[in-house]
Amino acid sequence: MTDSNNSRWVDYVIFGLSIFLIFCLIFESYIELPNLVAWLGRWHPVVLHFPIVLLLIAVFLGLTGKTIPKLLLTIATIAALITAISGFFLGTETSTKGDLLFWHQWLGGGTAILAVIWYWLHASDLGGKIYTKALQVALAIIIGFTGHYGGMVTHGEEFLALPTEKRQEEIPENPLIYKDIVARILDESCVNCHNPNKQKGELLMTSLSQLLKGGESGATIIPGNSEESELIQRLHLPVSDEKHMPPEGEKNLTENEIQILERWIALGASDTLRFSHLDNDEPLAALIEKFKKPDELRTWAELPAVADTTIARLSSDYLTIKRLAGNVDALSINMYKPPEYHSDLVTKLKSIAQNIIEMDVSGLPISQVEMGQIAAFENLEWLEIDGTPITDAETDTLKVLSKLRTLKIYDTQIGDNTLSVIRNMGDLEQIYLWKTEVTEEALQQLRIANPSLQINTGIDPEIQASFAKKDSVSKN
Amino acid sequence: MEEEKKKSENPLKVNRRHFFSQLSVGIGSLALGSLLIPDLFKRGTNETTGLPLSLPHFAPKAKRIIYLFQAGAPSQFETFDYKPILRKRMGEDLPESIRKGQRLTNMTANQDKFPLMPPKIGFKQHGESQTWISDFFPHIAKIADDITVIRSMHTEAINHDPAITFFQTGSQISGRPSMGSWMSYGLGNENKNLPSFVVLTSRGKGNSQGLYSKLWSSGFLDSKHQGVLLRSGKDPVLYLNDPDGISRSDKRHLLDHVSSLNKLHHVETGDDEIESRIAQYEMAYRMQMSVPDVMDISKEPQSIIDLYGEDCQVPGTYAANALQARRLAENGVRFIQLYHQGWDQHGNLHNEMAGQAKDVDQASAALVMDLKQRGMLEDTLVIWGGEFGRGNFAQGKFDPENYGRDHHPRAFSIWMAGGGIKPGLNYGKTDEFGYNVVENPVHINDFHATLMHQMGIDHEQLIYKYQGRRFRLTDVAGNVVKDLLA
Repeated sequence: MTDSNNSRWVDYVIFGLSIFLIFCLIFESYIELPNLVAWLGRWHPVVLHFPIVLLLIAVFLGLTGKTIPKLLLTIATIAALITAISGFFLGTETSTKGDLLFWHQWLGGGTAILAVIWYWLHASDLGGKIYTKALQVALAIIIGFTGHYGGMVTHGEEFLALPTEKRQEEIPENPLIYKDIVARILDESCVNCHNPNKQKGELLMTSLSQLLKGGESGATIIPGNSEESELIQRLHLPVSDEKHMPPEGEKNLTENEIQILERWIALGASDTLRFSHLDNDEPLAALIEKFKKPDELRTWAELPAVADTTIARLSSDYLTIKRLAGNVDALSINMYKPPEYHSDLVTKLKSIAQNIIEMDVSGLPISQVEMGQIAAFENLEWLEIDGTPITDAETDTLKVLSKLRTLKIYDTQIGDNTLSVIRNMGDLEQIYLWKTEVTEEALQQLRIANPSLQINTGIDPEIQASFAKKDSVSKN
Repeated sequence: MEEEKKKSENPLKVNRRHFFSQLSVGIGSLALGSLLIPDLFKRGTNETTGLPLSLPHFAPKAKRIIYLFQAGAPSQFETFDYKPILRKRMGEDLPESIRKGQRLTNMTANQDKFPLMPPKIGFKQHGESQTWISDFFPHIAKIADDITVIRSMHTEAINHDPAITFFQTGSQISGRPSMGSWMSYGLGNENKNLPSFVVLTSRGKGNSQGLYSKLWSSGFLDSKHQGVLLRSGKDPVLYLNDPDGISRSDKRHLLDHVSSLNKLHHVETGDDEIESRIAQYEMAYRMQMSVPDVMDISKEPQSIIDLYGEDCQVPGTYAANALQARRLAENGVRFIQLYHQGWDQHGNLHNEMAGQAKDVDQASAALVMDLKQRGMLEDTLVIWGGEFGRGNFAQGKFDPENYGRDHHPRAFSIWMAGGGIKPGLNYGKTDEFGYNVVENPVHINDFHATLMHQMGIDHEQLIYKYQGRRFRLTDVAGNVVKDLLA
């Protein structure tokens, strides 16, 4: 850098850029950028890496007492200025700035200005002074903060948060459809890019009024008309479509969630609508019931871990243990009658008691011992004990299985007493109950006591009779 | 451990591709590298088998499939696709605007005319779903609200062998694994005493086409995944029973010794098929006990016999196989494939179909109802259908009393029940002539993708690498038909 002529030009460029940057920052609200200039702002994410790296290298050299090549500092300073200016251009695309962007902008501007000051000190041979060192430390810190805020603007505020269990608030018994359901769906899938800090498409999705106001392409939702609502249209586009939302790589909404949004818009997109306002046959009610049900994968994630070796050890030719999906710890157990049956086949499953979600012991000669053990499988949702020699005496233990959804108990000796146990099992959804000692009377009582329970009592006798008739096909 | 190492280092394990890929790294580094790190150039097991580490990919809706394959291709116009226009315009030539020059087989390609032919059998709507079902199927009509009829199936194959091969393996050219083998490969056995893929065949009096064991072959997958054909009669599995004078303990000793010899040989050659063979001997040994037990229907109550029809007591009939299918399903067989031959009606269609329908109607419906009362319809997917459809015009001379129909791949009907499929749905539409699909087409690849999805498999993720190429059941196509899912 002995060519002073050359270096003077560089000084002019740095001076000019600094003035321009300061001007921009001060007169921000008066500036209206031409399109092409605004487009330059799109290069911000590319160029921003240069000043970070180059300035940090320079700081490292300075703090460790090595000579800092002038060329390095020159390029770093120019890069910092260009980055700050392009960042300012990019920032003007957002109409209202959130906290994150505000801080990112001023810290970024500060970084560039500090770099210019350092460049000037260095050129005036004051590089070794103690305050220059302080400036270098300050610069390193400020670069860190600028980068951090910038990262949060693009990737969301929780990007760097430790992967903790996301705390989901319980959905209340009688939820407000907008606040407790719709907003929650939007929060999970949309708000990351449509919040005050990162207002993609000039759309805010953090409040109902903002949703109604819409973004650059107009209203997002049209109350009462879900088909015409852009929100719904975009959700339904194929994922490969550029206009599909959420964009590729983000978590898509489930079919259920989309249907909830659709119905809610169709019903007028109100924020005062409550679950209890819905008619019984309103599809939204059923959709919300479904939504409230905890996702099985999430519940399964809380089960204690089971090693593959444990599964292998407990399995045998007559007992298979399968994970319900890929690598979850929820297990399904199938047993087949071995040549010599012993009850410890069931009792030795004690060590994985909490993990058993589905269990099939149909056709096995089980007794009180096994039924007692099965009662300890507290997470059981699906139980097949059909074709076993159990009677009312053994089924009393079932009452503790509060999570049971499906019970197959046909072709057994159970009687009315079992039904009174079953009547108190609130979560039970379906029961298969035929060829037992149960009386029609008790069945009727069960139907009244638990109207939502599906009771399968075997094939309709009328159909059975028609099938028993010979040759019902006319042969020409 | 020592043995394992010896196996994996066996020179016969290195094929030409491995050899060249290793050579390309450079002989020097190869020599040095293999000295320092024995596993340096060995691919991860995942790469060679292509098997994803965690299957099923998600919680499955269906745990097993019973596929009631109607081999020969039953006509959609006499089963589930009601087209009144065929009667209105009976005998008129099929309009070119509908046919659009689509190819025909050489059995009809040279016909001067393609006279539209209505079904001789009547149609009615059944159930709350108002599903159109022909009067050939009075029993299936009773389960109209439990089944989903898809009238928009289509395929590329126009002849039986490629078409049925396409349905079974996802390719018209034989050699790929059958879908039952893919399921077995992906999901494994539920019951270790029975194969996970079982085949049962029966034959009606109608015109039939051949069935070959290639249809249930495991292709390039390990041979333990191939379908096991259970025969009717005294020996359901050939050579499974011990010869006279051999006791079960003798057999055990024999197997132990054979197995130790085989293991030695495996160490020498590194051929994985030897391990398969050992496993199959063991499976066969256990099947000696389990198969007779499953096949024995003597304990089935009269009500069940009545339900499936008395034919179910005659081994080798479709009804017997249907009942058997339920018993196999109860015993943890994952993929049960029935074939009923005799649906190839190029002539004498009405009479032949009446016979064919009588063979399968009651037992098919009984199976669905029987599964339902056992709570098994929830996790068992039942499928009924052939390999393609049939033309809407008469083959040969026009005679409404005695007509036939040629092959037609562009549109045909099948039905499914259970296994997380929406019940009582009428899916897809053909044009008013029943010739082309006009709404919601379902290609065989889509059908396969949907089946796998219900079994908890992402069809794009179940991949097997063979001869340097990655294979899937759906190859490079297929979309899950989401509309069908409950």
